[in-house]
Amino acid sequence: MSDFSRIVKLAKRLAIERMFSMRMYIMLPILVLFIPGMAWGFSDPNIILPGGHQPENAMEVLFYASLGVVFGATVCAVLLSYDSVSRERASGVLELRLSQPMPRSHQAISIALGAWKAILIPTWVLLLLSIIIVRYRMGEWITLGDFGVYFISTALILLWYVLFTLMASSFTREQATSISFGIGMWFLFTFLWALVTTMVAFASGVAIGQENDASWIMLEGALDLLSPNGVYHHLLESRLPQIDRGIEPWQSWGMALMWTIIPSWVFIRRMKRVIP
Amino acid sequence: MEEVVLRLEKAGYRHSVYAPRPLQPWRTRPGPGVFSAELSLYEGSILGLVGPNGAGKTTLLRLLAGILPLQHGKICSGKKTEPISDQELRKRVGHMPEQVRWQGRKSVQQALTEIGEMRHADEKHVNQLLKLVGLQSRMKSPLNELSQGMRQRLTLATALLGSPRILLLDEPLNGLDPVAAEAFILLLKKLTQKGVSIVISSHRVDGLSGLIDRLALMHQGQILAEGTMDGVAQDLGLENKTEIRGNGRIPEFTKYSLDEEQLDVRSVKESWHVIINKPQPNLLSELLNDGCFVTEWKIRQPNVIEMLCAATGLSIEDVGLEVASSATIPLRTFGGEEE
Repeated sequence: MSDFSRIVKLAKRLAIERMFSMRMYIMLPILVLFIPGMAWGFSDPNIILPGGHQPENAMEVLFYASLGVVFGATVCAVLLSYDSVSRERASGVLELRLSQPMPRSHQAISIALGAWKAILIPTWVLLLLSIIIVRYRMGEWITLGDFGVYFISTALILLWYVLFTLMASSFTREQATSISFGIGMWFLFTFLWALVTTMVAFASGVAIGQENDASWIMLEGALDLLSPNGVYHHLLESRLPQIDRGIEPWQSWGMALMWTIIPSWVFIRRMKRVIP
Repeated sequence: MEEVVLRLEKAGYRHSVYAPRPLQPWRTRPGPGVFSAELSLYEGSILGLVGPNGAGKTTLLRLLAGILPLQHGKICSGKKTEPISDQELRKRVGHMPEQVRWQGRKSVQQALTEIGEMRHADEKHVNQLLKLVGLQSRMKSPLNELSQGMRQRLTLATALLGSPRILLLDEPLNGLDPVAAEAFILLLKKLTQKGVSIVISSHRVDGLSGLIDRLALMHQGQILAEGTMDGVAQDLGLENKTEIRGNGRIPEFTKYSLDEEQLDVRSVKESWHVIINKPQPNLLSELLNDGCFVTEWKIRQPNVIEMLCAATGLSIEDVGLEVASSATIPLRTFGGEEE
């Protein structure tokens, strides 16, 4: 068995264990309500959004429905992965794993892949369902490019949250600390980021909350690159020509790469040094 | 003499302990650990690692298992002088940590297979190991349903994955019932016949003496003495002891040319018990001639606790109740390791 297939095999085991865990059964109704539920709601032909706006096409509906991913799937990613390392550390199983000849970096990758796949697979299934719902309600399919960006960017945002939580899980000895960190990160980027943006705008002398003010839109767009949720929306916006917040697609993809590489590197480095 | 399979040369590792200051809440400093450990593991032999709580036994085992990185010294294979890589070390070593609390809904077989995959162990090998440790009938049981003894057996099976040449066992008898412990000891003896080198760290020193071939005494992170039981006793200047039990009046032992310092006399109701720190071949006949009622007489080797006391120069109470604190420093200091 090659190193790669060993990593994949271990990741598959971990993913299956988590995907069929009790907490997944508890979270699944939330995911169903948030993802296909929002797609159903936003694809209503009579919907009027705040400001009198009406979605123009299927991708725009899915863009609004992506709030379900931001609010639901990311928190599920945190709740599925917060004990991936800390629980085994507390039980002593981590010591057994670390004494095996499989390199620690490979073990780290398999843990991350396992936790990621556990939330990714159900989310992708629900995204697919959302696309079918939108087609049923609006009579319109999204393009292949939209499909690729929608699925890849969703996979990335889930990976980022999984990696943040795994980092916390590998640093802490108590699972409560690890879950607090994961939820804290989620809370910061999901709810408090607007506050951060407002504070920076105030400090920079930009008029706050003026939706038609170009400098506010540019600042908000730039600051969103520093938040995983913001980058996720930038990636999706790259498929919506009517939205322009001053960020080029290459900048969004570049930041997506950074958000992937840096936490992965920190987590692998941490696992190489972890003491049971 | 058996072949050396692994050597530890001046190996050292100190744990980081928190030492916060007002402006540096994250500050750490080197704490207790293992200092300049020199140890050789021989093919087909069982080494008993003995020491009080906090002596550094688990840290030493983790160094040998490649779990903790060496800060000083090296680990070499056989007669080679270059250090062995961590990955190669982990290939050769099977490690059984103390008290693994297996939990979850996955089955015993799934748990072992999962770790077995890290060693390229196939399903057949996994099933053989489960049979070997007596968990065959529990293969499909969820981990949550296992008793402590069964969990110990599963941990042992994990340590045996990949047929390692060196087996490190940290408190392996904890949680095992007497029959299981006996079966476990028989299994270890079988493994040594196959050439496996075993290191056992245990607090249950009474059960060790009949099992181990070699002994390493640890205290405050140092290996104070290492060798065969007789060799260690000899190095520490300990002689065989005479132990006598009897009923009725306690004899006047001092009249048999024995110093009071050599004697440890205890009495309960009508019976008495004396331990004499030297072999006394003629004492029995003298006692019987004087009409003493002797019920038991034996000459025994110094036990592990006595060796530990002699090696540390401390009494049983001091050795037993002392727990290494973060401020622990080694009994002897070695160049460059202290702050």
